[in-house]
Amino acid sequence: MKNKDYSYLYANWDDTVRRRKVTLSNPVFMKGLALAPIVVAGTSVHNGLLLCIAVFFLLTPTRVITSIITRRMSVPFKTFFYPFVSAIVFAFVYYYMYRYLGTSVLMLGVYLPILVIDPLIVKNFEKTRKESVLYSIINGLRNTMGFAVACMTVCVIREFLAFGTIGGIKLVGVSLLPMAQYSFGGFLIVALVAGLWSAAVKNYKYRVEVEALHNERHS
Amino acid sequence: MTSIQRKNHDKSMLWAIFALALCGSVLHGARVWLLCAVATVTAKVVDVLVSMIRRTDYDATDHSSELAALIFTLMLPVNIPVYVIVVSVVLTIYVGKHMFGGRDVYPFNLAALAMCCAAVNWPDKVFSAVVPFAKVDFFSGYTAQTTLSNASLIKAGGVPPYNTVDMLLGNYPGAMGADFVLVIVVIGLFMILCRKITWHIPVTFLITCGAIAYIFPRIYGFSRLESIQLEMLNGSVFFVALFMLADPVTTPKTPKAKIVFGFVTAVLAMIFRYVGSFDIGTCFALLLVNTLDGYIERMVSGDRIKVADVAGEDTEENKREKTVHRKIFTAEKTEKTKEKAPKGQKEKIRGASDAMDLISETEDNIDNVIYSTRTISIEEILKAEEEQKRKKGGKK
Amino acid sequence: MNDILKILVEFFAYSLIAIGAQNAIFTRALGLSSGMRMLNDPRKNTLYFCGALTVFQLMTSIIVYFVMPLVTAAGFAHLRRFVLPTVIVMACTVSYVIVIGLLSVIVSKERFKELLQSVTSASITGTIVGTVLLTNYQGMTLLQSIGFGLGSSVGYLFAMLLITEGDRKIAHDRVPESLRGLPITLVYISVLALAVYGLTGHAIAL
Repeated sequence: MKNKDYSYLYANWDDTVRRRKVTLSNPVFMKGLALAPIVVAGTSVHNGLLLCIAVFFLLTPTRVITSIITRRMSVPFKTFFYPFVSAIVFAFVYYYMYRYLGTSVLMLGVYLPILVIDPLIVKNFEKTRKESVLYSIINGLRNTMGFAVACMTVCVIREFLAFGTIGGIKLVGVSLLPMAQYSFGGFLIVALVAGLWSAAVKNYKYRVEVEALHNERHS
Repeated sequence: MTSIQRKNHDKSMLWAIFALALCGSVLHGARVWLLCAVATVTAKVVDVLVSMIRRTDYDATDHSSELAALIFTLMLPVNIPVYVIVVSVVLTIYVGKHMFGGRDVYPFNLAALAMCCAAVNWPDKVFSAVVPFAKVDFFSGYTAQTTLSNASLIKAGGVPPYNTVDMLLGNYPGAMGADFVLVIVVIGLFMILCRKITWHIPVTFLITCGAIAYIFPRIYGFSRLESIQLEMLNGSVFFVALFMLADPVTTPKTPKAKIVFGFVTAVLAMIFRYVGSFDIGTCFALLLVNTLDGYIERMVSGDRIKVADVAGEDTEENKREKTVHRKIFTAEKTEKTKEKAPKGQKEKIRGASDAMDLISETEDNIDNVIYSTRTISIEEILKAEEEQKRKKGGKK
Repeated sequence: MNDILKILVEFFAYSLIAIGAQNAIFTRALGLSSGMRMLNDPRKNTLYFCGALTVFQLMTSIIVYFVMPLVTAAGFAHLRRFVLPTVIVMACTVSYVIVIGLLSVIVSKERFKELLQSVTSASITGTIVGTVLLTNYQGMTLLQSIGFGLGSSVGYLFAMLLITEGDRKIAHDRVPESLRGLPITLVYISVLALAVYGLTGHAIAL
C-alpha cells in the first residue's frame, strides 16, 4: 500500500470502517448482528449456504424498497414498517427457495423466518438520514458479503470440528469436538473467531496509525 | 484470600489429590498416574503457551490449572482415552481461565467446566466404569471389564448391588479417585481443622443434599435413610463438596454468603441429578450457581464492595463517561427533572400526535448505543477492599 | 376439577420447558442481539424491557393463534408457512399500538418517555417472533402457546439477569483487549448454555 493511502485511511478512519463491512465492521463479529441463525442453525456448510442465499435475496431488496418508500413519504412506526417490508419480501424468497431447493430449506426451522426481524436486515434503517437507491444497493451488498464471510467461516469450522467433514466431504475420520454442533459450541466458536477478528482489526488500525504518523513526520 | 493463603490452599489440595490418586492406583492400576501426569503436563503447557502469546510473565507459583486438571481427571473412569483429558483440559484452561483474565479472576469452577465439556463431548466414555482390580492396558486403557457406574444405575432406576462398606471405601466400578468417601471425609475434616478451607459450603451442601434425598427419595423400595445413603455415597457428591465447592476464587467470601451458596448449589445439583440427562448434574449446577456468587454476596452481606460502585465512584474518566452518556441521550430528561411539576399536576400526553412525536424520536435514537469500553481495574477493586477493611478495623 | 388441574399442569409444564430446557437465549439464542444491545445501553432497564417483552409475547401469541385459521380459511393453507412471519409482524404492530395507547393514557409524559425506550425495543424481537413461529410449527393449542410464550419471556428475563450479573464480573482490565465486549460475553453465555444443556442432554429441533 502507498504511503498516501495510509495517511488517507488514518484521516478518514471512521468512513473507512463504515465502508469496509466485510472486514473492519463485519456485522457478525464486530457488531453482534444475526447471531441466532449462525449460533444455532449454522452447523454445516449446507446450512450456511442456505442462510447466505436467504440474506442475499432479503437484505438488499428490503433496503431498496424501504429507501424508495421513505424518500417519498414519512412513515410512522419505523420499528414495524421495516420488518413488515422485510416479511413481505421474505414470503417470496422463502417460497422460491422452497420451490427450487426443496425441503432442505425447512431444516433450518425458525432460523430462516427469524431473519425478517433480525437487526442485520432492519437495523440500519433506524436513522433520520434518507438513503438513495444506489447507496441502499451498495450498502446492502456490503452487509450481505460481511454476513456471508462470517457465516461460512463459522459453518466450516463447526462442521469440521463436529463431523470431520466440510461440505459433506469427509476429511477426518473422527469427530474432533462433538460439542461444536450444539448452541453452546456455536457461541464459543463465534466468540473465538470474533476475538481473533477484533485482534486483527486492532493490529491493522495500529499499523495504519504508525504508517500515517511516520509519513507525517517525514513529509 | 491473600496470595500466600492461596498458595497454601493449593498445596494442601494437591496433597489431598495425591492421596486420592494413590487410593485410585491401588484399585485401578498404574494408569491412574499416567492420566494424572498427562493432565498436569497439559495444564502447565497451556499456561506457559498463553503467557508466551500474551507476552506476560509466567507465574510458576500458580497451581490452579494443575489442580483443576487433576480434580477433573480423578472424576473420570480409568479407561478414559488420553485425548479426552487433553482436549478438555486445553479447552478449560484456555477458555475458562485465561480468556477471562487468568489467575484469581475466572468466574467458573475450572474442574466443573472440564467435566461438563468432557461429559457433553464424549458421554459414552465419561460415564462408563471399570470394575476394581480389573486388568487395564496402561497406554490404550482397554479393558474387558466395563460396566455402568452406580450413578448411571440409579439414574436408570436401578439400585447398585454394593454394601455400605464397599461404597464408603470406593470398592465398586466408578471414577478413578472421586468415590473414596471415607478417605475424602478424613481429608476434609483434616483440612477444616487446619483451616485450609472453611466448613460453611461443603457442610451446607452435604446437609442440603441429604435433606432433599430424604424428603424426595427417587429410589423406590428403600427407606428414606437408605435413599440418603445411596444418593450421598454415589455420584461423587463428597468429592465435589470438598474439592470443587471449596475453590476460593469462584465462591463467596463471607460466611453467611457461603452458607446460602452451599444451599443453592445443593438444591440445583439435586434437581439436575433427578431431572437432568447426565449423571454428574452437580457440575452443571455448579456452573450456573457460579454466576450468582457475587449476587449472593451482595444480597446477604451488604457491605461487600460492589464492582459497579468502584467503577462509578472513582476515576475522573468514569465520571466523564457517565456525563457524556447523559448528555447525548437524556438531555431533555435532565432538563425536565429540574422543572418537575408538582405531584398532582404531572404533564399528560396530549393526543395521538404527541405520542407519535415521542415514538418517532425514540425510534430515531434507538440504535445510537455507545458501547462502553471502560473496564474496571482489578487493582482498584483490591485497593477499595483494603480501604474498607482498614475502616472496619478502625471502627472496632 | 380434574380438567382444571390437567389444564394447569399442561400450562405450567410448557412454561417450565420454555424457561429451562428450551431457554430463549441459552438453548435457542433468540433475541440475543437485542439483549446484547440492551446490556450496553444505559437508557434501557432490564426489568422494563423483559416486562414489556412478556406482555407483547402473550398478546402476539393470542393474536396469531386466532388470525392464522382465518388465513387458512381464505385459501392460503398451502402458503401458511410463508405468510406466517408477515402475520406475526402485524400482530406485533397491533400489540404495540394497544400497549402504547394504554400507557399514553395511564402514565405521565416523563414516565412515558422513560418507558418508551424499553417498550419499543421489546415490541419486536427474535424472542417473540421465534417463539410464536415455534408454537405454530409444533401445532400447539392456545393454552400451550400461552404457557410456552410466558415461559419463554420469563426464561429470557432469567437469562438476561444472569448475563448482566456476569457482565459485572468480566468487565475488568485483565481480560485480553481483543476479547473485551462481545467476544467475552459470548464465551460467558456459552458456558451458561453448556450448563443448561445438562438438563436436556440432546439437540433441539430447529
